[in-house]
Amino acid sequence: MFGSGAMTNSINEFDAADLFLVTGSNTTEQHPLIGTRIINAKQRGAQLLIIDPREIPLAKFADLHLRQNIGTDVAVLNGMMNVIIEENLYDKEFVTTRTENFEQLKEVVSKYPPKAVEKISGIAAADLKKAARMYAKADKAMIAYAMGITQHTTGVDNVKSCANLAMLTGHLGRAAVGVNPLRGQNNVQGACDMGGLPNVYSAYQPVIDANVKKKFEEAWKVEGLDDKPGLTITDMMNAAQQGELKALYIMGENPLMSDPDTAHIEHALSNLDFLVVQDIFLSETAKKADVVFPAASFAEKDGTYTNTERKVQLACKAVNPPGQARPDWQIICEISKLAGYPMNYESPADVLKEINALSPSYGGITLERLSKGFGLQWPCPNIEHPGTAFLHKDKFSKGLGTFMPCEFKPPAEMPDDEYDFMLTTGRIYYQFHTGTMTRRVSILEREAPEALLEINPEDAKKLGIRNKDKVEVSSRRGSLQMKAEVTERVPPRVVFSTFHFSEACINVLTNSAFDPVAKIPEYKGCAVKVRRCA
Amino acid sequence: MKRTRSVCPFCGCGCSFYILSENDRVVGIEPSPENPVNKGMLCVKGWNAHEFIHSPERLVTPLIRKQGELVAASWDEALKLVANKLMDTHKKYGPRALGFLSSAKVSNEENYLMMKLARAVFKTNNVDHCARL
Amino acid sequence: MKTLAKKDINKILSIWSQKHDVLAPTKMDNGDCIFSAFDEKAFTLDYKKPPLSPKSVFFPQSEIIFRVEKNRYNEVVAAKKALIFGLRSCDMMGIRQASSFMSRDNKDIYYQARQNAAATVVMACPKAQNETCFCTTTLSGPVAKKGFDLQLYDIGDTLLVEIGSPRGEELLTGMPLAEMEESQAKQKIDEFLQNAILTIPEVKSVIDAMNKLKDRKIAEKVWDDFGAKCITCGGCAFVCPTCTCFNVYDHQQAAGEGIRLRAWDACLYSGFTREASGHNPRASQASRLKRRHEHKLLDYNNTDIQDGLCGCVGCGRCSDYCPVHIGTLEVVKAITG
Repeated sequence: MFGSGAMTNSINEFDAADLFLVTGSNTTEQHPLIGTRIINAKQRGAQLLIIDPREIPLAKFADLHLRQNIGTDVAVLNGMMNVIIEENLYDKEFVTTRTENFEQLKEVVSKYPPKAVEKISGIAAADLKKAARMYAKADKAMIAYAMGITQHTTGVDNVKSCANLAMLTGHLGRAAVGVNPLRGQNNVQGACDMGGLPNVYSAYQPVIDANVKKKFEEAWKVEGLDDKPGLTITDMMNAAQQGELKALYIMGENPLMSDPDTAHIEHALSNLDFLVVQDIFLSETAKKADVVFPAASFAEKDGTYTNTERKVQLACKAVNPPGQARPDWQIICEISKLAGYPMNYESPADVLKEINALSPSYGGITLERLSKGFGLQWPCPNIEHPGTAFLHKDKFSKGLGTFMPCEFKPPAEMPDDEYDFMLTTGRIYYQFHTGTMTRRVSILEREAPEALLEINPEDAKKLGIRNKDKVEVSSRRGSLQMKAEVTERVPPRVVFSTFHFSEACINVLTNSAFDPVAKIPEYKGCAVKVRRCA
Repeated sequence: MKRTRSVCPFCGCGCSFYILSENDRVVGIEPSPENPVNKGMLCVKGWNAHEFIHSPERLVTPLIRKQGELVAASWDEALKLVANKLMDTHKKYGPRALGFLSSAKVSNEENYLMMKLARAVFKTNNVDHCARL
Repeated sequence: MKTLAKKDINKILSIWSQKHDVLAPTKMDNGDCIFSAFDEKAFTLDYKKPPLSPKSVFFPQSEIIFRVEKNRYNEVVAAKKALIFGLRSCDMMGIRQASSFMSRDNKDIYYQARQNAAATVVMACPKAQNETCFCTTTLSGPVAKKGFDLQLYDIGDTLLVEIGSPRGEELLTGMPLAEMEESQAKQKIDEFLQNAILTIPEVKSVIDAMNKLKDRKIAEKVWDDFGAKCITCGGCAFVCPTCTCFNVYDHQQAAGEGIRLRAWDACLYSGFTREASGHNPRASQASRLKRRHEHKLLDYNNTDIQDGLCGCVGCGRCSDYCPVHIGTLEVVKAITG
């Protein structure tokens, strides 16, 4: 498309945008300090366009809220582009000078006139037109999206469609204008940047590139680095189930709760010869391990973290780890030494020096600079470089931006006569991810102590479900009981719940069908049935 | 009372705060007033990020599964066991039989080392984390 | 009147540091200015109000109040000799209010122990620290009237020293003091005060809002609008010098061993008032915001602090640090139209 997976803009630029298209992001609950900037922007007169099936808290402030059927994002975005081209609202200069493949885009989106999109998405043609005009006509329009866009079997297509829309309207490459995927964890950006991915070394240097391989072999003084991409987490679980993956070393993750189709993950993990888990708590996954290493929490070690706007920030050790717990970096060094490859780092600062030397976009992000300020945004190739607030200013990192039009494909599993509801999943404000940390914070646990199944009043009435009644929700993969929350937050025929609570972790039900390219599972839509418990 | 600069451990906003500690115990949080991300503000999770650190449920010793149960073990024993198992698996089934899951919760340096461990030591690109989840 | 040379201040703080945990304005490496353990190199007199008020010294966000060991419990009253240097008069008023509350009915031994162990050295405020300062309205600034051990007036190279207590007197023992003639000192202080007050104009609408609250003349829509955008972070209560609510939590450490700790709580959280039945007398965020502001501006009008105005000390932190601008000043504006 146009570059690596990261926000094109900085968080501060939200204060200058005059239209926000928020889709698949419950921003005030999941990125509160970004969400509040949108609320404030709205109050200073910016426009807010939301595309989300749920009535998220931000919807109260929306000028227009399109509630599409789950998994129909490509159709909706194509529909908007159809209107924009049809009504000549696209940025011709930008399209001519900075993009390629426009004709192909035009051809594909021509198949998505508003009336056709209405049939697929449930969004009234008139509303779609209004949305398209709002977005196209805005001067500084910013798209913010999160897992509601990516966690689909068409996740990559959804992302491409957002990018197509931004390129078509020239809403890229300026301050307060761009496409911003909001990253869900404090260092998910950094984990990607550091090469915690099967196909790249740090700073997205491909493992298949012979020069890159040679560079790392020389720097690390090893031979025979693997030059084929490895397995993604999704593939690893499948390989474990098939007996091809024998040993798994998990640091600070809880796949038994966070991955789709718990039964499948449980089977995969138990099929391993050897499972090592390194964590701060005995997570559900750690309970299955052969060896558990006690790790230090964020407050007990030095290190750097990269936020959603590509900003690397320093965190320092405040207290000692409890008992014999050790920082993750020390544990890894010990294992490496015992495996015959001594890693001689005195401190994380030594590791950062190596990162600086081997990762071009992190070249100038040194400890010294980080300690003297509030962080640096990559790309920051050398120590004179001030860092980069927004990407793609004059040209895209890959030169011309390529339109990559996509056709609409429905979710892998659609409701039918038996499993007649669509289940969508996410997080709530007071809990975080699999709850290992937040469920041990008394105030947060008091505010949100249990899993709830959101169900529309219309459906609840039909099924004889009252607020807080216990319900059973089942998919083809499993069954759970939890209390119902009868609310118009979800549209009819859609239910919502979370994966925070091990007592009723929604991933027992979710579908492990995944996007063929990104291998991201379809957490945002699968078929379930609901009944009131006797 | 000591103040140590830190970054919130929850979402990707990257709000910066100081950890207040006293007698090696975290006693509170003070948001960074000037950090451009949060400018002295935090959400409910950030403001309350101090408590889980000292949860009595923290892991405080390595554990090894013996006769089906996870029991406390020394670092020495646990580290050796893991290193040997990983080396044996590598020898017996090849690098592709090993998998490493890095973490969106640990530091850049630790993520870097995890991928280096996978790639340089065990010669496998089977390294990933939960970005997709 | 006693005076100190400004150039000696670092030396004086070093001496105080020998016997106290000194908390002083500190310029951090990254550029933040907060109150932190005194460090000669990072100490600064060029500072603004930090997010946390000094209540965090007497009443930490989280503190162990007792330990249970083998069927016995031992209170943990942890108080180190401390000195807070450089607090402003608004925060001094905050301490007086919080202290009054914490000793009124049941004496809070934890709070009192820490407070008794802490000396306060106020720096009189030379000017508004930013546009949210309104201490002249709440009668809590720009200089403290009482409660402090020492109050310093920065008049250039010299610091005028006002002694507020025997402990203050004692702090000055052995310090390089000079003397300024009383009438001259009085004139300097008057000048200081006049200049400071000019930059912190009285916000009359705060009084108007208090009267409107008294007459119960506020449209519910005011609270509904604020309730719609509040993200329930609790920050306004945490940064407020006069908010003292906490909850207690028990953690079992091992068989027969445990701790009870208390930690800041906030009336903005729905669980704060939710009853065991599930019923919540303050069911909406609007109703919780209404209560908070009524508490500050209405219910707390007749406190023991007769020289203060109300439960708000005019520091402006709730306006500074609310992510969606629901501070006292914004609420006052909405109430008074």
